[in-house]
Amino acid sequence: MVSNEPLVEGPVLSRAEGPVLSRAEGPEPHVEIQDVGMVYEAADRSLVALAGINLSLARGEFVSIIGPSGCGKSTLLRIVGGLQSPTSGRVAIDGAPPREAQRRKQIGFVFQDPSLMPWRNVIDNVRLPLQVNKRATQTDPERLVDLVGLSQFRRYYPHQLSGGMQQRVALARSFTTSPSLLLMDEPFGALDEITRAAMRYELLRVWRSEVAASGCTVLFVTHSIAEAVLLSDRVVVLTPQPGRIAEMLDIDLPRPRPEETEETPEFLQYTRRLRSLLRRRSTA
Amino acid sequence: MSVDTRPTEAGITLNERPTTGLTTSKRTSKSGRWFVEFLAAAIPALIGLAAVLLIWEAWVKLRHIKPYIVPAPTSVARDLLDDPSLYIVEGLKTLEGAMLGFAVGALVALVLATIMAQARYLERSIFPLAILVKVTPIVAVAPLLTIWFGFGLMPKVFIAALIVFFPIMVNALVGFRSVNPNALALLESLAAGRSEVFLRLRLPASLPYIFAACRVSIPLSVIGAVVAEWFSGDRGLGSVIYVANNNLDMAKAFAGVFTLAIIGVGLYLVTTWLERRILFWHESTWAD
Repeated sequence: MVSNEPLVEGPVLSRAEGPVLSRAEGPEPHVEIQDVGMVYEAADRSLVALAGINLSLARGEFVSIIGPSGCGKSTLLRIVGGLQSPTSGRVAIDGAPPREAQRRKQIGFVFQDPSLMPWRNVIDNVRLPLQVNKRATQTDPERLVDLVGLSQFRRYYPHQLSGGMQQRVALARSFTTSPSLLLMDEPFGALDEITRAAMRYELLRVWRSEVAASGCTVLFVTHSIAEAVLLSDRVVVLTPQPGRIAEMLDIDLPRPRPEETEETPEFLQYTRRLRSLLRRRSTA
Repeated sequence: MSVDTRPTEAGITLNERPTTGLTTSKRTSKSGRWFVEFLAAAIPALIGLAAVLLIWEAWVKLRHIKPYIVPAPTSVARDLLDDPSLYIVEGLKTLEGAMLGFAVGALVALVLATIMAQARYLERSIFPLAILVKVTPIVAVAPLLTIWFGFGLMPKVFIAALIVFFPIMVNALVGFRSVNPNALALLESLAAGRSEVFLRLRLPASLPYIFAACRVSIPLSVIGAVVAEWFSGDRGLGSVIYVANNNLDMAKAFAGVFTLAIIGVGLYLVTTWLERRILFWHESTWAD
């Protein structure tokens, strides 16, 4: 599952150009980001948000993107999710463009704000993805709400819930369509540190549970080093202006990762390593 | 979490004891609180009104003001009580015109706002026309409407709709556009269609804006109906007041105005009540 690319170089693209239409499991990468660049044209100048991004995700891999604000992390995520088109390069999910993955409801999104519909209660918010673009309905919303520990709050409305609870609803909602690819844009960034720490394990639990048994690939944007190390199989360090992949770090910690993981010397080594990578980049 | 164990007792509790919120069910305590709030708001207003009426009465009596200049509140009340059915029947006529006009105006406004929300060029072609309609003084057009539509219901509906339409259209348009960008992205990532985005997100998100417009425009619809009756009506409170004015029957004219005020207050209360029920999820309805 975990690719073993050398630390400094980018991933080796294992196959030639051209869409692969077969959905065969195996060595084929699940998500392929090839040479993606994003340039914003302003009136007097152009801003290069992303340049030459090459990244492939194996099926079921958990990859975090870490970097300072404004390095294009969110833009990259939006491009992978098909919300935005890159100005150069291409993204393939199972060999097809992101729009196709959207139509098959293969993509789950979690944002920094819960972005719940305030007029819908918990269960109806979780049910929402089943009601639009009616396709195969896979996961029972009731079970998802139970899974994130909100069964007592099913009929509550977002304004009656705490920020952490709201984000748990958003998490449950992202699994409603049994997505094969979960895109998370600093999902715990707006939470307090205590809730945030709890939410990491919540995410790991849901991700490892049967609702994601099909091997859900996760692309996770964060600026927390501890979060990236704890959750990921691989951490991608992005540098700003233009956003480029500076380093990749494989995290070889055994799973499942209980809370004690954070006290192991290996964990601390990884965080130290990442911190020094980020520091070197920011002073360069 | 408090769980109400005795739903059947709620009614009895309410009858026997004043609402304390602890002993009654959630529902009862909620409506009970609303009633208490209403009384708390209504009593000072009623005291103020009583004071004004008292001063008015005293002034008319002491200064011997002629009844065809300013009638005393008591003579207005006598007029109302002498023939209440007149005010009820004619009031309902006015209300009918106002409500139909409101419905038509709101419908047209929502349809146009929906169209304009689709593309900027549609907005640019429709909005100036709407402004043109808006700035046209209704009173100047009203006599014309009598020529076009004759007497009766039609001119009332037309004028009320004309007055109501603009605020609702503008607010609905703002509402359709004021959506959480991430909620929009979420629907997009599910390949939701335009109509789905509209129904699941834009329309509900615009309700607070539309309700704000309704609170302004519902009283306006009554004014529209009265203006129409003034010019062309053979029925309704507008024509009652018009005729009474010409006959220098000021008590009757004031009784008509009073009835209009009651209608206005009633409509406002109904709108507020509906708003609280429908927009329970929106911060504008939360008591602080």
